Amino acid sequence: MIEAHGLTKRYGPQLAVDDVTFTVRPGTVTGFLGPNGAGKSTTMRMIMGLDRPTAGRVTVNGSPYAQHARPLAEVGALLEAKAVHPGRTARQHLQALAATHGIAPARVDEVVELTGLTAVARKRVGGFSLGMGQRLGIAVALLGDPRTLILDEPVNGLDPEGVLWVRNLARFLASEGRTVFLSSHLMSEVALTADHVIVIGRGRILADMPVQQLVDGASRHVVRVRSPQATDLAHALRREGGDVAPADDGALEVTGVEAARVGELAAAGGVVLHELTPVSSTLEEAYLELTADAVEYQTESLDAPATDGAPR
Amino acid sequence: MTATAPAREAAPAVVVHRVTFGRVLRGEWIKFRTLRSTVWTVVITAVVMVGLALMMAAIVRTMVDTPEMAEGMSQDPGLQAIGLTGTTIVSFGYSFGALAIGVLATLIVTSEYSTGTVRSTFAAVPRRLPVLWAKLVVIVLTTAVVVAVALAIAYVVTAPMLDAAGLSVDLSDGEQVRALVGCVLYLATVAAFALAVGTLMRHSAGAIFTIVAIFFVVPLIFNIVVQATDAAWTDWVNKLLPSVAGERIISRGIETDTLLDPWVGYAVLVGYTVVLLVAAAITLKRRDA
Repeated sequence: MIEAHGLTKRYGPQLAVDDVTFTVRPGTVTGFLGPNGAGKSTTMRMIMGLDRPTAGRVTVNGSPYAQHARPLAEVGALLEAKAVHPGRTARQHLQALAATHGIAPARVDEVVELTGLTAVARKRVGGFSLGMGQRLGIAVALLGDPRTLILDEPVNGLDPEGVLWVRNLARFLASEGRTVFLSSHLMSEVALTADHVIVIGRGRILADMPVQQLVDGASRHVVRVRSPQATDLAHALRREGGDVAPADDGALEVTGVEAARVGELAAAGGVVLHELTPVSSTLEEAYLELTADAVEYQTESLDAPATDGAPR
Repeated sequence: MTATAPAREAAPAVVVHRVTFGRVLRGEWIKFRTLRSTVWTVVITAVVMVGLALMMAAIVRTMVDTPEMAEGMSQDPGLQAIGLTGTTIVSFGYSFGALAIGVLATLIVTSEYSTGTVRSTFAAVPRRLPVLWAKLVVIVLTTAVVVAVALAIAYVVTAPMLDAAGLSVDLSDGEQVRALVGCVLYLATVAAFALAVGTLMRHSAGAIFTIVAIFFVVPLIFNIVVQATDAAWTDWVNKLLPSVAGERIISRGIETDTLLDPWVGYAVLVGYTVVLLVAAAITLKRRDA
């Protein structure tokens, strides 16, 4: 269980995370979705106590992370691949971390095997590929058999088989009742792995809902319609409460009015139609739209102090 | 590798103990000994210290064998007057040792930042300060042991030559014992000083430059400045420099009012080190990792 309340992180003038409140529940995989630079990593680093929040607080399993007596049994984190001295072997890195919690060497061997690193465990990390580094990071995260897992872009650099493995692992860990919080900038990845999704853009939470709900919301229909009397048609559609936007190729993109109704309105108004196509937007489009809104919103909020004339 | 990983998870529960200082210390010791560069730096430091002692002893021995030189040595002011004694020769490599140990102590912190290891470290020990104290114990004890061993070997291998030159180390002489123990203390303290600077600065190049400047460049400059001017403040600044003050513990107490007494000088270096360690602890606790 991860609970964040009003979590804020400011780097100089830059607001990386802006008053974020959310809860990540056990027994599910929660995706943390947002474009690069949206504040995902910073939020995760604050959960782990690596970055100090400018405001707000965040707890893991009921307490701030640093106050746990056995931190590695509470949270296992993959925050960046290859956060390891290149001169050490994978095994040595794991052993040094295991020693801080008195974790037996047998467990080190276990996570090495579990992550498929057995063949390279005694090789120095300097020669690891990104994928191997990522597997080592996951081995570190699993070391203390933690109740909560925080995985920042876990599939980065993995081959397709590795991606599938991470996906299954995340789902399995959640099925055991653990809390799994994984970030990605890929909507499709989150849709495949997560049950719940928190979307972040420009440091703000844009959506916090079951993945299915986001998917349903995404399959809103757009109707492409082309007509020589586009202006008349647009008027009729707007009267009907529809939203009409011109597409690049001269067609109209209509939202809020069913394709059949568009045809009826055209017939009623004596408008000739050259094309009438219902289009479902994809998940990626819905996501882009969400985050694009965040960009616009952020621009407004940056302008606000200037118009207010607030003292700086 | 197949995607059947979850099947293994039925294994018995993993035993995870509380984080204690002893466990953090063990973790830091593993990190310290698993880097080849660390091990080599330590070994080379010891070898070079022994080698320099041997070289000096050989030179003194040759001087004794050369009649004109031997005469000069036995006359006043002989070698004793410029402070050259058996302990000076045995501990002759301490300056090199300070450089090597200073760089090593800096790197055991700064390399964690440059490689990102520090994130793993602080994820395991989010209270952070035990990590600093464990690193301190590891580097100070390692330095003390290695320097003590190097001095012991240097003492044994130079003994025949020093005896022949009439510069035998006399372990019944309190001053000589103090100089040898002082060499161990000085280098162990330099290690702590450098660890604190590394923690404060976090960047390898900057921290190493700072250590080299403080311990080697600034004293060199002041050595010249002090002789060139009569200004009293230069004497004071000079005698309070970390290296100049700290090195007094290794010297054979030539009485001089331009330098501090051996233990006072060493205490000054310890004082700087404690202040820096406190500052390092505070910033380590407060800053983003």
